[in-house]
Amino acid sequence: MSMIEFKDVEKYYGDFHALKDINLDVEAGETVVLLGPSGSGKSTLIRTVNGLEPVQEGQLIVNGQDLANPQTDMNRTRKNVGMVFQHFNLYANKTVLENIMLAPRLVLKRDEAENKKIAMELLERVGLADKADKMPSTLSGGQQQRIAIARSLAMKPKALLFDEPTSALDPEMVNDVLKIMREIAADSSMTMLVVTHEMGFAKQVADRVIFMADGQILEDSPTEEFFANPKEPRARQFLSQIIH
Amino acid sequence: MAEFLSAFSWINIRFLLMGLWVTIEVAVVSVILSFIIGSLLGVIRYVKIPYLSRIVGFIIDVIRNLPLLLIIFFTYFALPKIGIHLGVMTSTIFALTIFESAMLAEVIRSGIVAVPKGQLEGALSNGLSFKQALWHIILPQAYKKMIPPIVSQFVSLIKDTSLATIIMLPEVTYRAQIIYAQEPNAIVAMFFALAVLYFALNYVISKIGRILDRRMAA
Ligand SMILES: Nc1ncnc2c1ncn2[C@@H]1O[C@H](COP(=O)(O)OP(=O)(O)O)[C@@H](O)[C@H]1O
Ligand SMILES: [Mg+2]
Repeated sequence: MSMIEFKDVEKYYGDFHALKDINLDVEAGETVVLLGPSGSGKSTLIRTVNGLEPVQEGQLIVNGQDLANPQTDMNRTRKNVGMVFQHFNLYANKTVLENIMLAPRLVLKRDEAENKKIAMELLERVGLADKADKMPSTLSGGQQQRIAIARSLAMKPKALLFDEPTSALDPEMVNDVLKIMREIAADSSMTMLVVTHEMGFAKQVADRVIFMADGQILEDSPTEEFFANPKEPRARQFLSQIIH
Repeated sequence: MAEFLSAFSWINIRFLLMGLWVTIEVAVVSVILSFIIGSLLGVIRYVKIPYLSRIVGFIIDVIRNLPLLLIIFFTYFALPKIGIHLGVMTSTIFALTIFESAMLAEVIRSGIVAVPKGQLEGALSNGLSFKQALWHIILPQAYKKMIPPIVSQFVSLIKDTSLATIIMLPEVTYRAQIIYAQEPNAIVAMFFALAVLYFALNYVISKIGRILDRRMAA
């Protein structure tokens, strides 16, 4: 069953053609990594999947709803599709625990005791239970990102989107975040779409790699195949630049 | 000097303080009302509802560019002509609320705009509706940043209540005039008293605002 399906999708920012004829099918439970040079449209693509950016043409079916249709209730999709950003975007006016508990309380009407129990378990899981009552701004980038992941997981989403989750982190923080992402990817029911420059992570956890350039998908290959023998010259060039 | 001091009889002081109380009453009610209305208008400006936001923006611009005195005159002298009779106190509150709402709407809109865009995107991605994001995430952060401008609006509101002297609202400036109309020798003393009262009141408000701001920032 597909979780995310792009059919002939076109996306414009005003006159600028940002996504060109996108066709992509992500099955439920799959982990897909998006690679490509800066400005190729990776963020744009991933942001269309939860309706942060509207698309103008084609069909974009996410969890059974067509986001290309302006009538679609984006909120229903977003309940099931979490997103982790490069700059965390934790609620600056809420404590760590409240960051995690707010959406389940407001959106899922989760019982308060249950909500707190789940939130604390998630904090435990990302190794930050002792930070529950801290404000996000007092934490390091790596800690904030782990909390942002916990916040997404608290909604028990079917899919998670990651837009360069480790790019803004100090190198020594990167592995803590990647470790949690690996654990999530190991859960066979979670669909993950990840924009990253962490090639080690991509090789290890991705089922497939998508290579983008200039708003187009140039290559869509199983991970091993992509790294062993990229078909596209631009993908080859990109890989050689990243790895060396 | 004796003249100056004799103006401060207990009766006069009491009379002035009762006026100060009217000033405070009018200012507090107006500031609360304009805070609510200004927030609503500021949000409407921010979310860009077709037509409505444009119209609201236009009305706000018009009001912001009118002298407050004109609005007071209008509510007190013109509204009765179309069958709306408001008392002196209500007229003043009405006029101040209209004027202050327009001022605060802009303060609040720019406060909302100053909240980083990622906060809204984070909230929406987390499953919150736009309204929930606004109420729980965006507005609290916007208000926090807006404490200093809101306090300074409150201070100018208190000063502006003196304009209602013109429609004979028995606030503190009006009462000072009554006193020196009867005791012409008291005129200097009364202006002095007014200056002290306004200063003291506004100083206290500014001080509270600063403490609030510091506490919220922590
Ligand atoms: N909000 C926007 N308005 C206009 N152009 C944009 C906007 N966001 C991105 N773009 C443009 O779209 C292209 C793709 O950007 P982006 O999706 O951020 O690429 P990537 O994430 O791969 O670096 C870039 O040329 C960028 O300048
Ligand atoms: Mg990007």
